[in-house]
Amino acid sequence: MSTRMRAFAGQLIAVLFALALGSVVILLVDESPIRVFTTLLRGAFGDINRVAGTLLQTTPILISGIAACIALRGGMFNVGVEGQLFLGGFAAALVGFAFALPPGLHVLVALVAAILAGAAWIAIPAWFRVRFNTNEVVSTILSNYVAVLLTSYFTIFLFKRPGGWSETPPILSSAYLPELFSFSRLNWGLVIGLILAFAAAWYFRNTPGGYAVSMTGSAPKFAEYGGVDVKKRGFWVLIVSGAVGGLAGGVETLGVHHRFMEGFAPGFGFDGLIAALLANGSPIATIATALFFGALRSGSLLLETDTNASREIITVIQALIILSVSAQVLLRRRGDAQAGERRWKF
Amino acid sequence: MIKTFGRGLLAGATLLASLGAAVAQDKVSVAAISGYFAQGFGVSIVDGLNKAKGDFGIDLKLVDTGNRALDYEEQFANLAKDGQYDLIFVMGWELVDALQKASAAYPNQRFVFIDGVLDSPNMIYANFAEEQGSFIAGAMAALIENKGSEIEKIGDGKAIGFVGGRDIPVIRNFLGGYEQGAKAAAPDIKVNSVFAGTFDDPAKGSELAMALYGQGTDIVYNVAGPTGEGVMQASAAADKYSIGVDVDMCGTAPGNVLGSMLKRGDVAVYTLIKDEVEGRKVTPGTRTFDLKSGGVEFKVCDDIAANIPADVTAKVEELRKGVLDGSIAITKAK
Repeated sequence: MSTRMRAFAGQLIAVLFALALGSVVILLVDESPIRVFTTLLRGAFGDINRVAGTLLQTTPILISGIAACIALRGGMFNVGVEGQLFLGGFAAALVGFAFALPPGLHVLVALVAAILAGAAWIAIPAWFRVRFNTNEVVSTILSNYVAVLLTSYFTIFLFKRPGGWSETPPILSSAYLPELFSFSRLNWGLVIGLILAFAAAWYFRNTPGGYAVSMTGSAPKFAEYGGVDVKKRGFWVLIVSGAVGGLAGGVETLGVHHRFMEGFAPGFGFDGLIAALLANGSPIATIATALFFGALRSGSLLLETDTNASREIITVIQALIILSVSAQVLLRRRGDAQAGERRWKF
Repeated sequence: MIKTFGRGLLAGATLLASLGAAVAQDKVSVAAISGYFAQGFGVSIVDGLNKAKGDFGIDLKLVDTGNRALDYEEQFANLAKDGQYDLIFVMGWELVDALQKASAAYPNQRFVFIDGVLDSPNMIYANFAEEQGSFIAGAMAALIENKGSEIEKIGDGKAIGFVGGRDIPVIRNFLGGYEQGAKAAAPDIKVNSVFAGTFDDPAKGSELAMALYGQGTDIVYNVAGPTGEGVMQASAAADKYSIGVDVDMCGTAPGNVLGSMLKRGDVAVYTLIKDEVEGRKVTPGTRTFDLKSGGVEFKVCDDIAANIPADVTAKVEELRKGVLDGSIAITKAK
């Protein structure tokens, strides 16, 4: 069996194991697992509206997932996608409501603002990593809290819509990311996510730069010997990862909410990281895993109304998936760990 | 002509509906959706819903929205699409956007928005007469302050205080009731009011309350949401008195909380469901729950109750009766 097939089989077993454990939890709350899973399916794919709803949930997970993939390829964990998403979302909304620009251009400028905000936010931990060799896992996790609270501060104290809930004024319609269909809020964000996934996959597979990044991640000594400035490369990989994280937030505010609300999209950054891990850091496979998590999220909304199980059962299943996936990744990497390799490889 | 005919038809339909309810005992189905069922005001709503379920055997579905704004619209659509719920109770301002869209998409679905009034004409708004509850709070505070050092922790400042969240009409309504209550009970007592400008800053609430206590104000009424948590803490730090709002806050600073002006979410939902079950169909518009219907009340904390002189309690009761029978009119500020 090829390594890729083996990796795929491993992840599949991890997911099935998690679903089986999840069924036990469902039985414990006196609900039938079959009913729960069929309701989930119906909620996620039952009719055209629900499929669109699932894709709507998939979009931010997909784009955050690609952000995480990029860092994973370079052998790093960007656990700060959540924070970049919040700042990107805020920056896009700010451009959306504070400036009047021609339609088309307005969306683009707002998206660029989101990208820059995400990149700027990760620049801090990335710089510390290059300069002082700080662990990016810790610094990016911590930067999330600052980002979420910072955007809350901006929203509540500086840019609050008069008389409103904790939210900014609405963005101008010229900054809306157009919807794909009339019957759903599904918008061009999904297309952006798909293009990004294919572009990232193409870059890693077909360009010298992409190869350098992959080698920086999987065999840094080899890359260095081959003439790659590993530190500098790592810095820029994180910057691009953060930029995509910011874009994920921008797509949410411009495509769905049309304003920034305090705590507007909690957890999507983490969902994206999990999707990327489950996909073994492959951008194309992330499309599938993001769709899987999007379907779980979307199906869970119907679960809450149509069965006695709580929507939170999905959070439990997702946590079980994380546990079993990381357990199986660790098992697979045990050989490397014994050989003294410290870095994660994707 | 058509209009009259329509009205007649409507009346007929209402009559039929009420007959139907009386005869066929159609089971009333109710759903409630919010992100706050586990805390404060939300708990009282769940209590009211469960009481109604126990008393009337209604079908009840509780939906927790979670905190992802992306989910709200689908959740409303899931509840409204089959029309299986007679009433859908909604609580939480962050849901307003999705609620208004759902109400426009399902105009026949009766949504009940709790604790607020929106623009949409096809919803039911459960509103609370805050000025009446605040009136009693003001009367009680003023009478106690008037006793001076006779009562523990009270000085001779002859002033009571008020910390509001933002300076908006709803909060002005609380303040108006509070001031009128103080004036009616003890005209010599001054009311010092401040606004924090925000509902989300406990530190600021604490700072403002400390400043009030420093100026000889001995009792401060908190109408400031999370900012008010700071007010309650300040009353413990300064060892003065505070008054809570919306829910029973006696536990936040035991010994320093005089009482709380309760908005009885449970009474509101129970009353509405009772009307529906007994054939008095709940129709769009604003329903105000006041002192009379038990929708608002001033609850004295148990650990303080013994320290309150009997003449104070009697006077407050007299004023309360005045509000109930209409002999005392309270001006609304909104």
